[in-house]
Formats: sequence, structure tokens, C-alpha cells
Amino acid sequence: MNDFRAFPGCRKATGGALLAAICSGAVSGPSLAEEVTFLGETVPDATIRQGEVLYGEYCADCHGVNREGAPNWRRRLESGRMPAPPQDGTGHSFTHSDPDLFAMTKLGIDAVVPGYESDMPAFDGVLTDSDIVAILGFVKKHWPEDKGAIQAGLPGMAAFR
Amino acid sequence: MSEYHSAPMSRRTFFGSAAGLWAAIHAPGLWAQPAGTAVTGLVFSGGDVLAFGNRSLRSSDRGATWTTHPVPDGQPAAVTSHPARPGRLFVSIEGGGVEVSEDFGQSWRRQGQGLPDRTLDALANSAKNPDTLYAAIGGDGLWRSEDAGETWEFVMDRPFLSGSEQDVRTLASVDLASGMGGIWLYAGTSAGLQRVPDCFCRWQDVQPQGALDALVEGEKAPTVMPLPEGEPVNALVSCAASPERLYAALPSGVWASADGGVIWSKAAPFVATALAVDPSDADTLVAATPADLFHSRDGGQSWVVSAIL
Ligand code: HEC
Repeated sequence: MNDFRAFPGCRKATGGALLAAICSGAVSGPSLAEEVTFLGETVPDATIRQGEVLYGEYCADCHGVNREGAPNWRRRLESGRMPAPPQDGTGHSFTHSDPDLFAMTKLGIDAVVPGYESDMPAFDGVLTDSDIVAILGFVKKHWPEDKGAIQAGLPGMAAFR
Repeated sequence: MSEYHSAPMSRRTFFGSAAGLWAAIHAPGLWAQPAGTAVTGLVFSGGDVLAFGNRSLRSSDRGATWTTHPVPDGQPAAVTSHPARPGRLFVSIEGGGVEVSEDFGQSWRRQGQGLPDRTLDALANSAKNPDTLYAAIGGDGLWRSEDAGETWEFVMDRPFLSGSEQDVRTLASVDLASGMGGIWLYAGTSAGLQRVPDCFCRWQDVQPQGALDALVEGEKAPTVMPLPEGEPVNALVSCAASPERLYAALPSGVWASADGGVIWSKAAPFVATALAVDPSDADTLVAATPADLFHSRDGGQSWVVSAIL
């Protein structure tokens, strides 16, 4: 991982896509979650490192090398579908509980929003459940602390508190 | 529809004009807002009701009687009010800009930094964070202000329905948990009702469950009676005290839901251009048609005309 600690002020700048891209590394700076859990289980550092590699292989093309999301991700594509949102805490992935993040990655978005059409592939059969946990553990590890706290407080996380 | 109270207009007159409107609006190509719309926005504020459009009116008896009222500069398009600050009104102006008043519209101040120079077709105050405002721009999408209208940012594209992007005509912040840590923003579009959690992750149909609770296989499907498919929703309101109570104005009439928009039934056959519901009493409604202002005290079952526009 690049270290963007030099730009701590960036964390506030979530506005423009360019700033978000430049700054996305900043969220992996000072205030990382110390310990990451997924579905209530601690995700060990080794698993998170594995998740980082898998993320680069299977997710980065769409969600961005630094998890910054597709350019202009709030605007619909010509196809009527939405671009891939950031996973770095500037988007909305932290408003999804662990079971929902898992279900959306394994089965696609329409597994949780019936009939919803999207370009997010289902990774069932491509990645194992533990691969998915590793990737999402890595993603969670790099959310800013306040976003992690929002996710931990979601109703869907009650079972893991 | 069962019954209309007669005063002060006869039941027959009411049905006559309602039927006339019905016929007019169902002529081909007339899905748009009726021409000559006098009132485009209605809102409760501090117990009063304010009406904006070609005319500007104020009522201190929940819509029974009206007096004329100062207008902001320009032609008002949409209106919303701060739930906790009586007299604080936001009115969008045709062509662009938002005017804010702190005194029930006696004086106005221009706001809207960061917004494109386009008409805000819909405005809503967040029911949870009253200094958060939402606005919709045709051909564009949703904008949000988190500082009571001073500065704005783009948050979400328009909903995709019936094979294309649909403009949002009306917005209602509905204080029901989305399951995603926040509440819902409902939108009446040019082709039906949609809602999005206030984290703005994705537009979706109104379903009985939370944002991400697909039916468990084998479970009995709950009853759903959506609004008539494909019809535009021109006005949409939720009662602050009972957020599950919704009213919607469509070309086919005024519709009501008591469960957050899963099951709808028609409450009145007339074509309203604007609606407001008393934040403290879901049965108290005010509606504008191109010709009249109406009020209801029984959730839209019966209506009394109170001002001829
Ligand atoms: C082909 C492009 C593509 C790839 C590859 C991809 N995604 Fe996505 N993903 C998307 C799109 C597009 C969305 C937004 C869908 C929507 O809401 O319309 C999305 C949404 C999501 C969401 C929903 C959360 C949110 O913030 O909206 C999760 C979780 C997610 N992706 C995880 C992953 C993971 C993990 C991988 C790698 C294993 C991955 N995605 C790979 C395109 C992709």
C-alpha cells in the first residue's frame, strides 16, 4: 500500500472525484481500525494481506486500485446502470452490514434488492466464502474510523455486537 | 369514494368539477402538470399553511380560510419548511435558485451555492436532520445541503424506471428506518414512486422490507398494492408524527397509504397539483387543484373547498 499519511487534510475532501482519487490513500493513514472483524470474527492480518491481493485481482478494475470507485460514480451510465462506488469510505459501502456486503459480493446486488439491475458481478463459484471474507476484511480495514463506527452501529450488525 | 361533505360547495358541483378535471387530464398527452397551475407548493409551518405558485396564500386555521401573502422574487416552483423552526421556509424559483425566509415569507434571502442554474423541481427537509435539505433537478438528479440550504452537492442520479431515467417531481423525507442506519427519501417521479436510503446507495421500489431484505425463499409474499403503474406522481407527503401515513397526488387522484407506501388506496378522485399534511395530525390535509384549495380533516375521505384560485 502507498502511504498517504503526508496528506492528512485530504480526509475532509470527499467532494470532487479527482480529490477523492488523490486522497483515497489518506484513509489508510493514521486512523485505521486496529482490529477488523467480519461477521463477528476477527480477521487476522495475514488474511487481510491475502484480501488485498484478491481485491487487486478481482475488484480493482471496477472499484479502483485505491478503492476510490469509478470516475463520476454518482452519475448513471448510458446503460442506465450505476458505476462502481468507492470502497474507501467516501462512498456508501459502510452503510451495508457485513451480511449484506457478503451477500452482495457473493450473489450480486439483486440478492438483496430483488429485481435490481447492476454491473456488479456475483462472485459465487469464482471466489470462496473465505476469499470474500478476506477481501471485505481488507476493505473494512481501510475505512476511516468514523465510517467503521457507522457500520458497526447498523441494525444488521446487532448480532455481532 | 364514499362521501363528500357538502359545505360550502354542493356535492354535485364537486363531482362535476372533479369529473371534468379527470377527463381533461386523461386526454392523450396530458400526463404533465395541468396548465395554469396556480399553486405548485403547499407546506405546513408552525401550525400555519403556506401556498406558493402564481398566488401566495397563508392560512392560520389549517387550510379553512386563506389570506394573500408576500411572494419571493421570481416564480415559485417547490417549497419545504423547517420542521422545528416555525416560519423558516425554502422556496425554489423557476429558472434557478432557492429563497429562504425566517418569518413565514415576509422577507426572503437568496441561497443555493453550488447548485446549477436550473429549477429545483422538488425540495424536502430531512425529517431526521432538519438542517439537511434535498432538491431534485430535471434531467439531472438529487442534490443535498447539510447546512440549511447554504451550500449544495450532487448526491444521486435520477431513478431508472420503465426503461429510462425519470425526473423527480416531488420528494418526501420519510422517517422510517431504511435498515442502513438512516431513513428513506421517497420520490414521486414522472413514471411512479421510488425511494432511496438517505445514504444514497440505490433507488428502489417501495417494498415491505428494509432496503436490503430480500425475501427468504419459501416465505409468504406480503401483500403489496402499489400506485397505478407508470403514472407520474406530482405531489407526495408524509406526516412527521406518523411517517407511515403518506399521500400522493397522481393524475388518477389523491392516494393514501398507512404503511409507508406498500399498500395504497384512492382517497379522492381529483387532480391535485400540491399537497400538505399537518405534521402533527395525519388526517389533516390541504390540497390544491388548478382551480381550488381543499382541506380534509379525515385523511382525505371528505374534502371542503376553501379558496377559489
Ligand atoms: C465489473 C465491475 C465490478 C467488479 C469486478 C466488482 N464490482 Fe462491486 N460493484 C460494481 C458496481 C457497478 C456496483 C454498484 C451496483 C449498484 O448499486 O448499482 C458494485 C457494488 C458493490 C458492492 C455494494 C456496496 C456499495 O457500496 O454499493 C459491494 C459490497 C461490492 N461491489 C463488492 C465488490 C467486491 C468485493 C468485488 C471484488 C471481489 C467487486 N465488487 C467487484 C461493479 C463491480
